[in-house]
Amino acid sequence: MIKYIIIQLSDNAVSYCHYVATATAEPRTIPIEMLHKGITWAMKENATVQFVYPAHRLPDEYHAIIESIDHAKIVPARCDDEQLENVADVVVFDDYAAMEGYNFRSTAAYVLRTTRDELFKNHQAITGALGSVQRFNVVITDIDSFTDDDLATYAHILDSLADKVTEQYAAGNAMQFNLLTDRIMLDSMNNCNAGWETIALAPDGRFYPCPAFYLDGDEDYCLGDINSGIHIKNPQLYRLDHAPICRSCDAWQCRRCTWLNRRLTLDVNTPGRQQCVVAHTERNASRRLLARLKAAGQFPGKEIKEITYLDPFEIIKQ
Amino acid sequence: MELLDNLNIKETDRGWQTGIAKSITFIVTKDCQLACKYCYLVGKNEKERMSWETAKAAIDYILDHERDEVFNTESVIFDFIGGEPFLEIELIDRICDYLKVEMFRRGHHWFNSYRFSFSTNGINYDSQQVQRFIKKNIEHLSIGITIDGTRRKHDLNRVWKHHAGEAERGSYDDVVRNIPLWLAQFPNGSTKVTISSADIPYICESVLHLYSLGIKEVNINCVFEDVWHEGDDVLLEQQLTQLADAIIDGGYYSEYVCSFFSENIGKPLDPVNDNQNWCGAGRMLSIDAAGNFYPCTRFAQYSLRSKRAWFIGNVRDGIDKNRLRPFLTLDRLTQSPQQCIDCEVASGCAWCQGENYDAADTPTVFQRATAICKMHKARVRANNYYWNKLFRKLELEGTRSEYEENKPTVKSETC
Repeated sequence: MIKYIIIQLSDNAVSYCHYVATATAEPRTIPIEMLHKGITWAMKENATVQFVYPAHRLPDEYHAIIESIDHAKIVPARCDDEQLENVADVVVFDDYAAMEGYNFRSTAAYVLRTTRDELFKNHQAITGALGSVQRFNVVITDIDSFTDDDLATYAHILDSLADKVTEQYAAGNAMQFNLLTDRIMLDSMNNCNAGWETIALAPDGRFYPCPAFYLDGDEDYCLGDINSGIHIKNPQLYRLDHAPICRSCDAWQCRRCTWLNRRLTLDVNTPGRQQCVVAHTERNASRRLLARLKAAGQFPGKEIKEITYLDPFEIIKQ
Repeated sequence: MELLDNLNIKETDRGWQTGIAKSITFIVTKDCQLACKYCYLVGKNEKERMSWETAKAAIDYILDHERDEVFNTESVIFDFIGGEPFLEIELIDRICDYLKVEMFRRGHHWFNSYRFSFSTNGINYDSQQVQRFIKKNIEHLSIGITIDGTRRKHDLNRVWKHHAGEAERGSYDDVVRNIPLWLAQFPNGSTKVTISSADIPYICESVLHLYSLGIKEVNINCVFEDVWHEGDDVLLEQQLTQLADAIIDGGYYSEYVCSFFSENIGKPLDPVNDNQNWCGAGRMLSIDAAGNFYPCTRFAQYSLRSKRAWFIGNVRDGIDKNRLRPFLTLDRLTQSPQQCIDCEVASGCAWCQGENYDAADTPTVFQRATAICKMHKARVRANNYYWNKLFRKLELEGTRSEYEENKPTVKSETC
């Protein structure tokens, strides 16, 4: 059942996830009547709305319509409308430089989109942000480039970031960092669930599992339009119970990105190896962090069991 | 290859059948002399012929990766497919020679456990080149000739390629003349019969005709595509019931096999213990003229009506194992609609992963096509009749135990 609708306000709306939002010279802004219909649809379906903003300023008439419904704003860290940043619920950084000296607010969540190489080089910059926010997400934009040789480095970086998290918890700041604390706090799978619980309304007035499928121009994954409604073919394939690898997995913090699945394995319900091993490296780092936090009296009763694999596919194959 | 004979280092069937065999298919040509009406290869053409360079690159890649989990099976079947594979006998001969030499030179574990397999329309079976190849490789060779039954059944679908306006010409005579030679070389040779809607009235006479030609194993299956008309299931049931009577009353059951009748079909399937996938796609490897790899030939573009080809790599970059993951995690329940999960006669109901993909509403291998449902149910009813009738007869004659001990079995599965 759809619980969330992401309304992508423009072709250039910021990416807050793995996909790349390529800047276009003449971006299409969602037509105002589509926006209106999208909001009405959300009200009737009791769906929570997230508006995804571009860096450029939207026409004034859009604001009143947007404010007609309770919603969350996802905005780029650098946008023409500086006021927007001050009221944003989620602020997205596309590079490390933009985080330098940034005035983080405790009421917003922050997303850093980074490549693997940038993360390996600049992860210290994240440490600074972790001391200033309540919620910080790191999204690796080129997960498919991870090799098995990178995993030890990644685990080491996560452990060093865990030092900062431990420090924050000791100081009484129970902040959230997606790569390390989500797995500790969750009790079951909590994934993106695009096409199952979340759907995107794109500037072309059509529904997609998420903005990535729209930007890819993948017609096979158009799920209807705002005039005729949602028509999801093979809806079961977006559900956890129809994902053979994921349904028995306990890397509960994994995004389980259907778009990455489609890109890497050609099927939306099957993750590629890279997504699995990266998520399990995070899971195991969360386990190590949990041990430290428990030693300090935090999370009594919580447990993440030790496992011997990084890719649950290996277990299924056996 | 005389050297190999002299050294007596070839293995017989025992070697390659004991373990799980990897099936590697070379799509050597997309051309065929025939234009069979039920052929699923919608993109056949005369241009896409495999070059020696591509074939060699594929072989080198495969043998270079002997220890890789994709290629570490105990045995291997090198399958040659078209179009009509024997149109490229010269290339095939070169491929097989190179394979043998390279496997021997490398000390590859497949050297004592390989087989070359062909499914041919049989038209140029007696040609000098094909016969030379057969003689050279006979101990490692499986060849099936496709003959659909009686002349009228065979010629209904298996017609020569022709231009618009030209009269259709059936291929029965061109094939049947080679059956005695084939059976002399492969006494246990089996044939594959494909049934589409128009063929149903001729099933009984066709199977009996094939028996009369000396073919003891007839593998027969209804096409998986959505070609069935109202009443086809009733007709199929009638034909199979007639065939059951003929096989039992004529005493063929002790020596001849028709894969339509099997003791194991038509039962409910346990959701836990019987949850495996039917099809071997993803565990096989198919290579086309461009050097592209596929999980099976049915995922190559020339086999697909409405979907894009499912590439899993190529001879230059190797196999992209991510693209095999959907196939290797497929199970019955995840891809089946509820009607199949709850089906009381589910066992033996087959599916083709390629047809599932081609017919699916989205690009996925996780949506099972159900066009064959009513035909399977008709088959199950006739099958029940066959075994009830046969066992009653054997019990009355007191020969049930003798039958159980000596009964013929289907050696090869249809795909």
